[in-house]
Amino acid sequence: MLMLPELGLYFSFLMFLVGLAGVMFRKNILFMMLSVEILLNAANLAFVSASRLTNTIDGQVVMFFVMAVAACEAAVGLAMIISLYRTKASIEADDLKALRG
Amino acid sequence: MDLSLLSFIVMGVAAVLLSAVMITRRWPVSAAMVLIGVMTLLAGMFGLLDAHFAAAAQIIVYAGAIMVVFVFVIMLLNLPPEELRYGGVTVGEMILSALGVVVALLLGTKVGRGFLTTGIEQLGLQKPESAPHLHRSVFAESENVKNVAASLFVDYLWAFELISFLILAAAIGAVVISKKKGAEHANAA
Amino acid sequence: MDATAGALVQFLDSNVGLVSTIGKIAIALVIALQVAPIMVWVERRQAAFIQRRIGPNRVGLFGFKLFGLGQPLADTIKLLFKEDFVPKHVNRFFYILAPIVPAVMGLLAIQGIPLGKEIVVAGHTINLQPVSVNAGFLYLFAMSSLGVYGVALAGWSSNNKYALLGGLRASAQMISYELAMGLALLPMVFLYGTLDLQGMVAAQTDTLLFGFLPNWGIFLSPISFVIFVVTMFAETNRLPFDLAEGEAELVAGFLVEYGSMRWSLFFLGEYAMMFTLSALTTCVFLGGYEIPYLPQSQIIAMLTPIVSAEPATWITALIGLGVLIAKVAIFMFLFVQVRFTLPRFRYDQLMRVGWVYMLPVALVNLVVLALIVGILRLT
Repeated sequence: MLMLPELGLYFSFLMFLVGLAGVMFRKNILFMMLSVEILLNAANLAFVSASRLTNTIDGQVVMFFVMAVAACEAAVGLAMIISLYRTKASIEADDLKALRG
Repeated sequence: MDLSLLSFIVMGVAAVLLSAVMITRRWPVSAAMVLIGVMTLLAGMFGLLDAHFAAAAQIIVYAGAIMVVFVFVIMLLNLPPEELRYGGVTVGEMILSALGVVVALLLGTKVGRGFLTTGIEQLGLQKPESAPHLHRSVFAESENVKNVAASLFVDYLWAFELISFLILAAAIGAVVISKKKGAEHANAA
Repeated sequence: MDATAGALVQFLDSNVGLVSTIGKIAIALVIALQVAPIMVWVERRQAAFIQRRIGPNRVGLFGFKLFGLGQPLADTIKLLFKEDFVPKHVNRFFYILAPIVPAVMGLLAIQGIPLGKEIVVAGHTINLQPVSVNAGFLYLFAMSSLGVYGVALAGWSSNNKYALLGGLRASAQMISYELAMGLALLPMVFLYGTLDLQGMVAAQTDTLLFGFLPNWGIFLSPISFVIFVVTMFAETNRLPFDLAEGEAELVAGFLVEYGSMRWSLFFLGEYAMMFTLSALTTCVFLGGYEIPYLPQSQIIAMLTPIVSAEPATWITALIGLGVLIAKVAIFMFLFVQVRFTLPRFRYDQLMRVGWVYMLPVALVNLVVLALIVGILRLT
């Protein structure tokens, strides 16, 4: 039977696909950000599984950095969503076409 | 199959399914709550992979701080639910059709069938001498159900799925053909 | 009958880890679930004494007045028989989910507390900490940081401006003070060299400080203790930090649409979290389940000639549990005393205290203690 870390890599691949589908098919910017969080979590799972597979600790360290970066990105992205909502009262990607040529 | 492997599989499948559920939500709050569930399941999987600090950090930082910021913004801005149709196709339909493509690839190609039936040798079936070209066609007086199942779901898997579609189409067709004229207006919505 | 008994014993023998964990979790749950009824009585009586009145002292059991100890039972029965309603204007799923979250998280967080050192049953040594992971008390932190969602969801799902504001304020307050709480506990990790609560309790009983004081965290780092106790009040939404559920402002805040058993579920969660954080404080700062100057190994050595070896460990474990509960009771008493003594903070004052006063003090404390420990380890 498969070992745990290999299964982890498979699940990470599937979650990445789901996150990718979310980013592609949703037009609400908030949902796009939530799907990006799924992508980052899938990458974290892959890192931790790889760390278990190769018996090194670097995967978990990188996972920690990815988490920190995700926190910063979420904070800045949400701040932008708030200011966007204040000026335009809408956060659909289709409504943000002021710069379209 | 010990307990840790079983719980890892359950948690992994649940995480993938929940994230698929998440991207098809209309309400942002529901999506955020489902995502918190996904992250908690992921933390459990980290724990099973012997990454205890990663598991604790996942819950404390990701589910307990980052998602709180998401939830704050959603609740403060009172964001409306999103309409999920793109030219008449909902996101759920898109995802189901993508899954259908994956299933077709799994069943229709030799590689896919090989992937689906790994580990079948552990069933311990014995090949008959009279039919060496049929991989799993075994006839024994006992274990009849097992032999039929082995053949049906391994050698004839593609045909099995096609037959099930045929039956489904026949059932729907029978219901539609036998409907009365007047009932069509009531069921049009 | 003998065969099944023999098979049962063999099953228990081979699955000691699983069975002992389930047993420990059950015991911890039982203890945690008793906290809320007892605290209800304690709170009302103590409040009464502080306010120079008597409080509920008539509801007893079996005809005896018993100082009103039957009051929580009567309250529970009343709440159970009250109509359980879900208002029409609320978001039904989250309205029902919201009280469950703090209750469950409070009960889960208790599993990380060591209830005793270890007991020996039929030759197996069982560590008396239900959840003993590598991450130590980070598990407790994780569970308490997930408890924030109950408050936020309760406020939002009530479909009520005031409830939403109260809920958001309460969750903002909780996550602000979580920072200071973690930073206050970090120096203790340096001092004891372990994240595990069992290890911390063991480190506190090993040596004597300056020759006569027990090696407790409160003597090693009193600033950490003070910061932790203050943030403990903020984490559990208790006065003076209870603006979110304040009875005078915001009409009970995020709880305004809740009644009967759902309301009491919130308070079950709050009392369970109070108990958990008080137990965490005793394990880190007050020596946990150990009596000062009388370590458990000594008690076992004293008891072994009287009863045999294994029952000695059981009796010692019971004594340890009693000591832990006594120390936790001090903090619960403190909670109630502060509630009826201090006035409530305004929300901006609250956030200022958390970010402008607590956080820098905790950071400076961390840096100073890290330097001290580093220098001491070098020499």
